[in-house]
Amino acid sequence: MTATAVRQRESAGAARRRFADRLATVLLWSAAISIVVALAFFIAYLFYLGWPAISWHFLTAPPSETDAGGGIGPEIFNSFYILFLTLIITTPIAMAGGIYLQEYARPGAFTTIVQFCAESLATIPSIVMGLFGLILFVNAFGWKFTALGGALTLTLLNLPALMRVTQEALQNVPQSFREGSMALGATKWQTIRRVVLPSAIPQLTTGIVLIAGRIFGETAALIYTAGVSVSAGKSAFDLNPFHAAETLSVHLWYTHSESLVPDANAVGNGSALVLLVMVLAFNIFARVMGRGLSRRLTGK
Amino acid sequence: MIVTNADSTSVPTSTKLKISDLNVYYGNFHAIKNAALDVPSNSVMALIGPSGCGKSTFIRALNRMHDLTPDARVDGDVLLDGDNIYASGVDPVEIRHRIGMVFQRPNPFPKTIYENVIYGAKIHGLRSHKNLAECAERSLRQAALWDEVKDRLHKSALELSGGQQQRLCIARCLAVDPEVILMDEPASALDPIATSKIEDLIDELKKDYTVVIVTHSMQQAARISDFTAFFLMGELIEHAATSQIFTKPKDKRTEDYITGRYG
Repeated sequence: MTATAVRQRESAGAARRRFADRLATVLLWSAAISIVVALAFFIAYLFYLGWPAISWHFLTAPPSETDAGGGIGPEIFNSFYILFLTLIITTPIAMAGGIYLQEYARPGAFTTIVQFCAESLATIPSIVMGLFGLILFVNAFGWKFTALGGALTLTLLNLPALMRVTQEALQNVPQSFREGSMALGATKWQTIRRVVLPSAIPQLTTGIVLIAGRIFGETAALIYTAGVSVSAGKSAFDLNPFHAAETLSVHLWYTHSESLVPDANAVGNGSALVLLVMVLAFNIFARVMGRGLSRRLTGK
Repeated sequence: MIVTNADSTSVPTSTKLKISDLNVYYGNFHAIKNAALDVPSNSVMALIGPSGCGKSTFIRALNRMHDLTPDARVDGDVLLDGDNIYASGVDPVEIRHRIGMVFQRPNPFPKTIYENVIYGAKIHGLRSHKNLAECAERSLRQAALWDEVKDRLHKSALELSGGQQQRLCIARCLAVDPEVILMDEPASALDPIATSKIEDLIDELKKDYTVVIVTHSMQQAARISDFTAFFLMGELIEHAATSQIFTKPKDKRTEDYITGRYG
């Protein structure tokens, strides 16, 4: 083969590589753009459908069983209330579990079993968890449909994810911080409490808020545990955890599938829009807060 | 006492750390083999040797840092003022209070400069604001950092330069008032100016403390240390007064290393 032939072959190879490189760039870019477009379209469409239903009355009034003109006031409150109950139960347990697995557990049978259980728990479909909640909290405990039963069901559902979030946040704390603290004569717990956890807080907060968004939108696990009704006629803000507490997402499902009201479509579209905006707000809030916290922590 | 430095008419010094039959294993890997070394009080002991020779592993055995590594195992004796730090019933946390450590890469906590300095002192029970503030100033002065940071004590420590961060880590270590300071290549991540500041500092520190320092640089060992120990492949080959090691080493391998034949 002559030198020219070699060069030609090389340049043919180079052209092929350049083509493959461009192709990959175009494909990956279009994948990324289509995600953005899909979300933008979805949001715009929901605004188009749902915006006419939104009014102060709609956002604050109690729902209606038979007539048009019902609102979603108690549902919005219940969504936040059940979220609050779930988080105050789940967060301490999940953080303790995550701290144990990341900082204390040595590899071994027990650790493997704990990890395996957490992973298995994480794969249980929410409707199955809802039916489990029905058997346990609603029937066996005799609570009937309650906000607390709903919150405990959501605890079971989200415990593994929150534990994972804790574990990952701790994993990202550099080992050199732990060594630095221990080398100054700190105990393990002092090190965790004073250095490791504070360093993990930005990531931890972001993770918790993202999971809060998921809890906020959860439906299937709540239909049979927190119920599809609100304490009608009473205040929209019912703090009794042993009352039924229909959330926004459950209301959305209910109006579309079971409800008798003539304006079910409008109520459903309005509910969906409010739900979407709130979940988006959680996501944006999580990012802003995570960034703000880590800036405060690092001074950058 | 192992060393009788020929040209020193020095006052007799006591042995601060007496290390004997020290072995360290990582799993099946025998990282330190039967090391023995005496470190006199108020002196600077340099540990030199090529990469991977075990000098960092050795220094980490002196304040029980290997306890934190699941598959590391240490046996042998390390006597601090005559008491074995590996004896049963000895609390490693208490040992690390008495034997401080400064690491290769500066590792300030993501807190303010002030909080970094007083971190250990606070843990060991120093409480009132007045005492903590005094402790912070004293430690930062000792570490030759006070003038550079006194106006921004409540800014994040991560805003400091690498050299300042390392002096902050030294200040943080001094604030708990240790007896021995271990330094694992404290200047290897720093530029020459920051390095010379750290070296001046080490010279100051030996008035009050006993210093053991791992260094990659033979020039640094020669500049700052009173004694030098040479490690090769997990073995402590030779140790003596620094001047002796660099002028008339006893072992052929030491001579090969200091004349640049490997490493």
